[in-house]
Amino acid sequence: MTDLRVTLCGVELKNPVIPASGTFGFGREFNEIYDISVLGGVATKGLTLEPRIGNPVPRIAESRGTILNAVGLQNPGVEHFIEHDLGWLRSKTRVIANVAGRKEGDYAKICERLDGLVDLIELNISCPNVKCGGMALGVKPENVESVTRIAKAALKTTPLIVKLSPNVESISANARAAERGGADCVSLVNTFTGMAIDIERRRPVLANNTGGVSGAGIKAIAVRMVYEAAHAVNIPVIGMGGITCAEDAVEFIMAGATAVQVGTQNFTDALACPKIIKGLEKWCAAHGVERVTDLIGAAKLN
Amino acid sequence: MCEIIATVLENKSIAEEIFSLTFATEEPIAVRAGQFVMLGVDGFPLRRPIAVCKAEKERITVCYRLKGEGTRRLASRYSRGEKISVLLPLGNGFFVTEQEKRVAVVGGGVGIFPLVSAIREYAESKEIYAYMGFRNRAAICMQYEMQRGKELVIATDDGSAGYRGTSVQAFMENIDRVKPHVVLACGPTPMLRALKNAVSGRNIPTYVSLEERMGCGVGACLVCACNLTNGLHARVCKDGPVFEIGEVTL
Repeated sequence: MTDLRVTLCGVELKNPVIPASGTFGFGREFNEIYDISVLGGVATKGLTLEPRIGNPVPRIAESRGTILNAVGLQNPGVEHFIEHDLGWLRSKTRVIANVAGRKEGDYAKICERLDGLVDLIELNISCPNVKCGGMALGVKPENVESVTRIAKAALKTTPLIVKLSPNVESISANARAAERGGADCVSLVNTFTGMAIDIERRRPVLANNTGGVSGAGIKAIAVRMVYEAAHAVNIPVIGMGGITCAEDAVEFIMAGATAVQVGTQNFTDALACPKIIKGLEKWCAAHGVERVTDLIGAAKLN
Repeated sequence: MCEIIATVLENKSIAEEIFSLTFATEEPIAVRAGQFVMLGVDGFPLRRPIAVCKAEKERITVCYRLKGEGTRRLASRYSRGEKISVLLPLGNGFFVTEQEKRVAVVGGGVGIFPLVSAIREYAESKEIYAYMGFRNRAAICMQYEMQRGKELVIATDDGSAGYRGTSVQAFMENIDRVKPHVVLACGPTPMLRALKNAVSGRNIPTYVSLEERMGCGVGACLVCACNLTNGLHARVCKDGPVFEIGEVTL
């Protein structure tokens, strides 16, 4: 039996599979389909200090092998999450609170509020679907470093993950910037900014005009970026982008990821995460891999 | 709520651009009128949310319009014997109280199909008055199912069959005679808007089933938001698809 346990900045996960932020709510709905305590952890829907109503609809479109979304950080606010969902979710699995803000100070406040209450905090500085904050802070390395430093200063116990945008000049430069700012881990990739046009109406499908592209079609780009980031920093990396099966997860781990997140595939197949966990165990057993951690960064360049 | 692999029993055209797909599940699954399923279409990342038209234990029928690549693939790829991934049953469904005896159903376009499930569910216990709108005679389907109630008025936009006009117009011509205790409606947004205006001030509980592009279908991703009149958002897939008409902005 393969040991699937991984440790991310001192936090042990029973396996490296985590549903990605925004595709899984706070876990309650999917828990009606399967027991989510099988998961390594859950990255929550992006939380902000105040409740947000998000963007107008349509918020989703499909392109071949990918989808685009522009939900716009709709969420009930961090206090509502703490009061109604956190205790339940912690009783199930590791909680990675994904947090966003409009300006640096918001990130400090929300990190301070969640410090010690959750297992890990994932700083969302890469959401392409909100007008201010979000990605604006995640593009330039100096901004990445600065917001990371401010968030880190607000945290006494909970380790900090910085979620990187792929819509940047150099992913390794931004990963290093997060590390300099004090990040304990980086996760990538968030979605790529894209557009789909309804040719009958001659208008973008999404009410927001642009949205974040995700799904199987982005996997090769994401693997390359995870490889680059993992080889640029000395902190652990969480890889994501188009993972649909256990073999995809292995690919990201071999590129240097300690854990992986699964997003769009939860829509295609509600049972995606448990299937990937089972598949990982099978793959490792079939390949004589005793510990999944033996695969981290196992891919060597030609 | 579960994800299953079902077997297609039949997938055929029943009217212009309209297909009816019946699948069998291994175990009987309880589906209420007005609930929907998410069908996985091979090669497409997003499932297709489609209202249930008939549910009889292990046999479930959904009807859909050929609208884009996904529904065309659904029509061409899934013939008898094929396996199809289904997430079900989803959404809240219609709800009619014990006291509400006279039920009016008002439908247009593909909106008639969830109403067929309501007619089937309530045909025995309630008096059903159905007003169903179609583009023209060639678009009419499911007439046998719609006739299970006490009254059926078919309306066509061009008058090629039945009442000439919309289903809302046909309903409003009969509302004072029928005196419905509750109205169930589904159809294009302009139709629902016309209904909202027509019944406002009459104090008849009116429920509409909404359509929206969806991500997960189970309430987690917040993609299928609809605006509520109180300024908040609701999830069409989980809080709906059925809402009280005064509750939602149309």
